[in-house]
Amino acid sequence: MGATAAAPFAQKAAGRPKLAAICTIYFRMSHAQHIVDRFLDGYGWNGTHHHPPMDLVSLYVDQIGKDDLSRERAARHPEMKMYPTIAEALTLGGTKLAVDGVVLVGEHGHYPRNDRGQTQYPRYEFFQQITQVFRESGRPVPVFSDKHLSWNWDWAKEMYQTARSMDFALMAGSSLPVTWRTPSLEMPWGAKIREALCVCYGGVDSYDFHGLETIQCMVERRRGGETGVKWVQAYRGDNFWKAYQESAWPHDLMEAALCRSHTLTPARPGFNDVFPALDDMRRLVQDPVAYCYEHEDGLKCTMLLMSGLVKDFNFAARLEGRREPFSTQMYLPMPDGRTTLANFFSPLVNNMEQMFLTRKPTYPVERTLLTTGLTAAGVESLYRKQERFETPHLGIRYQPSKESTFWRT
Amino acid sequence: MPKRIAVITTVYRYLTHAQHEVDRILVGYPHNGQWHRPDMKVVSLYVDQKPEGDLSAARTSEFGFQVYPSIAAALRCGGDKLAVDAIMIVGEHGDYPRNEKGQILYPRYEWFKQCVEVFEKDGRAVPVFNDKNLSYSFAKAKWMVETAKRLGFPVLAGSSLPVTWRLPDIELPLGCEIEEALMVGEGESDAMDYHALEALQCMVERRKGGETGIKAVQLVENDEVWNAGDAGRWSKELLTAALSRSDTPQGMTVTDGRTQDLVHNGELPRLVKNPWAYFIEYADGLKATLLMLTGAVTDFNFAARVKGSGIQSTQFLLTPEPNVTYSACLIGKVEEMFATRKAPYPAERTLIVSGILESCLTSRVQNHQRLETPHVKVQYQAPVQSQHCRT
Repeated sequence: MGATAAAPFAQKAAGRPKLAAICTIYFRMSHAQHIVDRFLDGYGWNGTHHHPPMDLVSLYVDQIGKDDLSRERAARHPEMKMYPTIAEALTLGGTKLAVDGVVLVGEHGHYPRNDRGQTQYPRYEFFQQITQVFRESGRPVPVFSDKHLSWNWDWAKEMYQTARSMDFALMAGSSLPVTWRTPSLEMPWGAKIREALCVCYGGVDSYDFHGLETIQCMVERRRGGETGVKWVQAYRGDNFWKAYQESAWPHDLMEAALCRSHTLTPARPGFNDVFPALDDMRRLVQDPVAYCYEHEDGLKCTMLLMSGLVKDFNFAARLEGRREPFSTQMYLPMPDGRTTLANFFSPLVNNMEQMFLTRKPTYPVERTLLTTGLTAAGVESLYRKQERFETPHLGIRYQPSKESTFWRT
Repeated sequence: MPKRIAVITTVYRYLTHAQHEVDRILVGYPHNGQWHRPDMKVVSLYVDQKPEGDLSAARTSEFGFQVYPSIAAALRCGGDKLAVDAIMIVGEHGDYPRNEKGQILYPRYEWFKQCVEVFEKDGRAVPVFNDKNLSYSFAKAKWMVETAKRLGFPVLAGSSLPVTWRLPDIELPLGCEIEEALMVGEGESDAMDYHALEALQCMVERRKGGETGIKAVQLVENDEVWNAGDAGRWSKELLTAALSRSDTPQGMTVTDGRTQDLVHNGELPRLVKNPWAYFIEYADGLKATLLMLTGAVTDFNFAARVKGSGIQSTQFLLTPEPNVTYSACLIGKVEEMFATRKAPYPAERTLIVSGILESCLTSRVQNHQRLETPHVKVQYQAPVQSQHCRT
């Protein structure tokens, strides 16, 4: 009883946390479907079909399209009710916050794009409404926000500061830092990293974020911890190949990363797995994009979007005291024909569960704050005709926990 | 000097085993995070069938080796003495008849025998890699392993399943006590059940006492499979564990993306029109089951109850076409054997799988009876070091 008195708003000892999910849209293979379904229907975890020890009791969906699945889910799971507003979802139709955690999934859906090509997903707006309820109810609860915090750096920073000032656990980001790795390697704690790189695929203001997360979850473990980023330089199209030829990023790391891919487009007909020459890459990759950036402590990193060449996320780094590059693939069992389940959402949901149970993030939101800023800075550099973009605002320092949080059990 | 390799194959078309395995010698392959160019040179090729799409002529002209009309000629490179350092027999794919048990009669044994004839005539034997099963016939497979022992040349056999990536990257501790094991596979017999049995075998062979051989097998189908589960003949808990590793549940997952607890939601009998269960009783008492659940999933997953460490489960990751990078894991092992003249894992693994598979398929055509299998008394010790891809 004493514990209850000391923490009046914490979950009751025997009770299960109640969660609200706030989503943009809920269709097959949308992030909301992958994430919310795992709370409702469970998922394969540690050798069993795991049902999270918590109840997702309310759902807000901003856009109900023709292919909407939220109503089917609500009908099949009557313990979860749908609400027409975010505030009602959080108060379960009452006047006070009535849940113990919030899952915010602002990915997919029809939202305007700005002149920089950024989709203006309303994560910040939703977050504002969520924290408004926290304020009015006099208590906050942990929030997980899927992918980057916001397309808008100032808003992302405000979200971060709000969580700090209101003192609630905030965790964000994508599956890349927490999914399987082939091989199943962790960056040695305190490694001296000379340079790091990711070869991946997809578009600007979307998969670039995943590539940046791939790099950041590894390099943040370096000696001295994260120090922030000084500048970002994007290259696209012909400038990409020019930068390649001028060794703006190390070719051996690029080769090492490509050698971790399971999806290298064959450069020659009749061959199923052959290493591409420069001419092959130029032919296969129609719209290459690179973000090169330098951290405050001098570490240089490069994120390469090479759609047409690979369909996976591959990391390589040069470490002091190690002759060969350190490399791995952040393996996403992608349901684009390769699988039927996007099971990389399982470790993401599992990390959320731990936060909702302990009210402590399993990895620092500063990582996502930095990758959010890097994504926006890359977009900005592209928008400014690929000029180097100084990022004094990204002087984000943090130290991750030594313990690994990626999927390996 | 690069090792001189002879390739003996059924067919060399795009995405056949010959193409993706042999090409790795020609153009290199991803290995330990680098594009590895092996110190090996294909010098001769025997290809049994040249259907439309044959690539052998293109490969010989580009990479400077020759096609020979017979296996002996390929091994002697047209001369009169064995003129290669190692042989790859890739007898998968191509048009070959099936026997009454549904087994494809690939001529691996016959080809191996022809290699042995050359070894004996020329007074020298070289390492042989035999892709996939040694033979559809346990007796023939046994002869292959025994002959290699007699003549003192190393044989590496089997498929990529034991050496590919695992999700999670687990290995059963050598000498562990396995209480029960279960494997889930899918696809057609006798191509895909072979892979599943080999994946199962590379895990259970690490148990205390090593491999002891097979006492009896039985293959049942359809409702008998589900009835056997209800009767506790295979463990639903292990099936749940194995399926929890799958990335490919079918049915409602395909329809609307949802996750499913297939063992408990009642969907399995609806999804799997013709399930097969392979019951394997090992000589030391271990019981293992392979469930071929075509229609439920499209990947290969294992689970076992291990004394002291509970249920261990993993997926044998078959990476996508066209790269099929799992075969790079296999060619790494082939290269290792060619270089060291030591097989990194014993051909007895493949031999026992050959015996299990043939006996199970015999059980099937003999009214699904349980068959005693004293002849499959294959005993061996698993390699101490893990051999799957993890670096």
